[in-house]
Amino acid sequence: MSRIALLLLFRRTLLAVPILLCVSALVFLVLRLLPADPVAMSLPPGATADDLARLRQSFGLDRAIPVQYVLWLGKIITGDFGTSIFFRRDVGELIARALPATLELIAAGLLLGIAAGIIGGLAMFAWRGRTGEQVLDLATSGLMAIPEFLWAIVLILLFGVMWPVMPFIGRLGSGLVQPAPLTGFLLIDSVIIGRLDVFVSALRHLMLPAMALAIGIAPLIMRVLRSSLLDVIQEDYITQARLRGIAEHTILVRHALRNAALPTISLIGVQAGFMFGGTVLVEMIFAYPGLGNLMVDAVRNHDLPVIQAVALIYCVLVLGINAAVDVIYLAVNPKLRFAT
Amino acid sequence: MANEMDRRALLKLTTGMGALAALGIPAEVLAQSAAKGLLTIAYPTDVPTWDPNARALAAAQSLYKAVFDQPLTQNPDITPKPAIITKWGYVDDKGLALGLDLRSDVVFHDGSKMTAEDFRYSFFERPRLPVPEGGRKLDSGFIWRRLKEVEVVSPTRAIMHLSEPMPSATAWLYFLTSYVVPKAYLEKVGLDEFQRKPVGSGPYKLIEYQQGARIVLEAHDAYWGGKVAIPRVTIELVRDPTARVAAIESRRADVAVDVPIREALRLGKLAGLTTTIDSTADITLLQITANGGFSDNRARLAAHHAINKEALSKAFFNGAAKSISVPAAHNTPGYPEDFTFPFSEEKAIALLKEIGHGPQNPLNIKFSTSSGAFPSDFDVARALVQMWKKVGINAELETIELSTYQERLRARTLPEATLFSWGNAAGDPEMYGGYLLDPKSIFSAFKTDDLAPKFQPLLVETDEKKRLEGYKAAHRYAAEKGYTIPLYQTVRTIVHQNGIAMTKYDNGFVLPQGFSFKT
Repeated sequence: MSRIALLLLFRRTLLAVPILLCVSALVFLVLRLLPADPVAMSLPPGATADDLARLRQSFGLDRAIPVQYVLWLGKIITGDFGTSIFFRRDVGELIARALPATLELIAAGLLLGIAAGIIGGLAMFAWRGRTGEQVLDLATSGLMAIPEFLWAIVLILLFGVMWPVMPFIGRLGSGLVQPAPLTGFLLIDSVIIGRLDVFVSALRHLMLPAMALAIGIAPLIMRVLRSSLLDVIQEDYITQARLRGIAEHTILVRHALRNAALPTISLIGVQAGFMFGGTVLVEMIFAYPGLGNLMVDAVRNHDLPVIQAVALIYCVLVLGINAAVDVIYLAVNPKLRFAT
Repeated sequence: MANEMDRRALLKLTTGMGALAALGIPAEVLAQSAAKGLLTIAYPTDVPTWDPNARALAAAQSLYKAVFDQPLTQNPDITPKPAIITKWGYVDDKGLALGLDLRSDVVFHDGSKMTAEDFRYSFFERPRLPVPEGGRKLDSGFIWRRLKEVEVVSPTRAIMHLSEPMPSATAWLYFLTSYVVPKAYLEKVGLDEFQRKPVGSGPYKLIEYQQGARIVLEAHDAYWGGKVAIPRVTIELVRDPTARVAAIESRRADVAVDVPIREALRLGKLAGLTTTIDSTADITLLQITANGGFSDNRARLAAHHAINKEALSKAFFNGAAKSISVPAAHNTPGYPEDFTFPFSEEKAIALLKEIGHGPQNPLNIKFSTSSGAFPSDFDVARALVQMWKKVGINAELETIELSTYQERLRARTLPEATLFSWGNAAGDPEMYGGYLLDPKSIFSAFKTDDLAPKFQPLLVETDEKKRLEGYKAAHRYAAEKGYTIPLYQTVRTIVHQNGIAMTKYDNGFVLPQGFSFKT
């Protein structure tokens, strides 16, 4: 990694600190201002009003909000996310179990979405002015009009029920026992332990939820790539290349695509952030044991420590992706290296 | 909430598509499970933790009962029956010492024998252990707070000593958090490891758990009740109802629990599937307060008379939701079967007229409901608004989360009426009116002094006959005074493949050990 890229990452990290503080404070404040009582939610029969007061005290909920925030923040810095009110377990452990599943799903969704977006964008560009472009244009409008969770249901009905060719529940087939986690990433773990059956099953289970997420990103990539290519293709250096007799597909891949990719990379960075939001419902629908599923339980039960921690993790992940996109952008665009 | 509606709309659109879908299911998928001796259940709820003493969560009891044993258990008609306790009864005349005879052949999944020491540990020692910082006392500690000692007489004999009479103690022995855990194993591995690899003495061993996704159970060969019919059960934790429908329709699940009523009816018409829609011991009611427009009991009674519960049952539950006149389920000991609170729009109009209201001059009230927390909750609430409108009650409907309900209940800021569902798998009347109506209870909404003498003596009444008659009378009194508006017994839907036989429990339990393959 170049010195400039490292400098950029350092700047991003510095900038992330105030962003994380602001986001965490905002989430903390909003959750405390909601008219909901997480402790009362889980009171058992036999508990009294005094018990409720004692429990609120033990969770620190009787203190002033700024004091609660500072105490929580102090623990977070030491890696202590607290104890879940609903699950009665260490929040850090809950997140550590769920996070790899979500990252695996996001990675697969991004991969599928980017691949479909690039192929579709190139096709739209190649068929510009023809019926093919209009069909694809219409298709992208349709794809974008429907949110991820509805695509999830449509995909289940299509490939799980109508043509039952793909599994749609959980992360692994019911005949297989999940191996003890090494990295938590099931695809990687199955390769490490040499279990092809687990790998194939995990991959198949990943397909439909990843497709549901990918559908949210692919049409945008297609459209942005197509319009970027239309701009780039007007440039003088493309005309020069044509005059030199270079084949059209070589011009497209070697010259036009590289420059047209810049806005597309920016878009992917933004969309990847939105994709984390999409995982919440998609994971619930596919019974996929990731952060989204955990968040649904936490929100239903107003489990403050889990909601706060998961929100913070989402924020860290989005900032991480943005930083990665900046580095890629820097690598692809030489002009920025001098501007930075 | 908008998302919920969108999904519903999509479901309607895809109903026809779903019907076609069954035609395209390959034979190998249809036949896969039974041939392997594997049962797959699409189930809506996960356990919050595998510590069965920690959380009093009604929805998780069917799962806990597969892995852990309770001192007593229930027949399908929810009457109690022996489990690891063979005999029980008070050994004094004050109802303060409950003697228990334990089985001698109960073996935990780790091969160790269960004794009265394990019982003592689970019910007495564990709830009193120091709570780590940020941690929380076990829920069993709240429930059994009147337990002052468990005397171990022998490995198969224990006596529960109570600080004051606890007539519902027997019922609690087969209800929430009352599970026996292995003392030696838990002390050896610690709580964290126990939650990762729980060991009970129930009919199934937990062999795999993916939080929020899957529970895999394998038969416990040394189970005292005999080996279960199905050696391996996979419980797919599918929260989304549409996905549960898809799971059973595609035959990826053998059983789907809590399927939306309309979908359950449609699936029941498909070849190879059977649908059951039954009311349970859980009840749905309106939690009433004396706030605002309901300060006059005539307004509350009018609101009750105006509700056509049979129509609600037919419209939203295919007629399966049994209407109730008191806050208890039919055929449970606290239900006065000789009492009916009639549906009468005429009576409602007359009562409202007495307080100066009618269709032309409606009584304004606020009414809150959850949406999606209980079966058809929002739809039922909307129907109630229309029923009330006909007699002269104008209800402003508000959708709230359950956490908001709890906050308002504690702060005593609930509106005039709130649609609510109350679980009571045990069926004991204390867990109905004793909690919902006793003004000292943290679960009661209507706080009125005249209810205290009706319910509080019953909490320590040792004469069982007197106790049950007392609850029947108190339940009836509360309904007649308009302190509660009970609606119907909550419905549970189950869709299963025809090759599966299922034991149905009146409290809605779906026990893996209650399934078998038809031969």
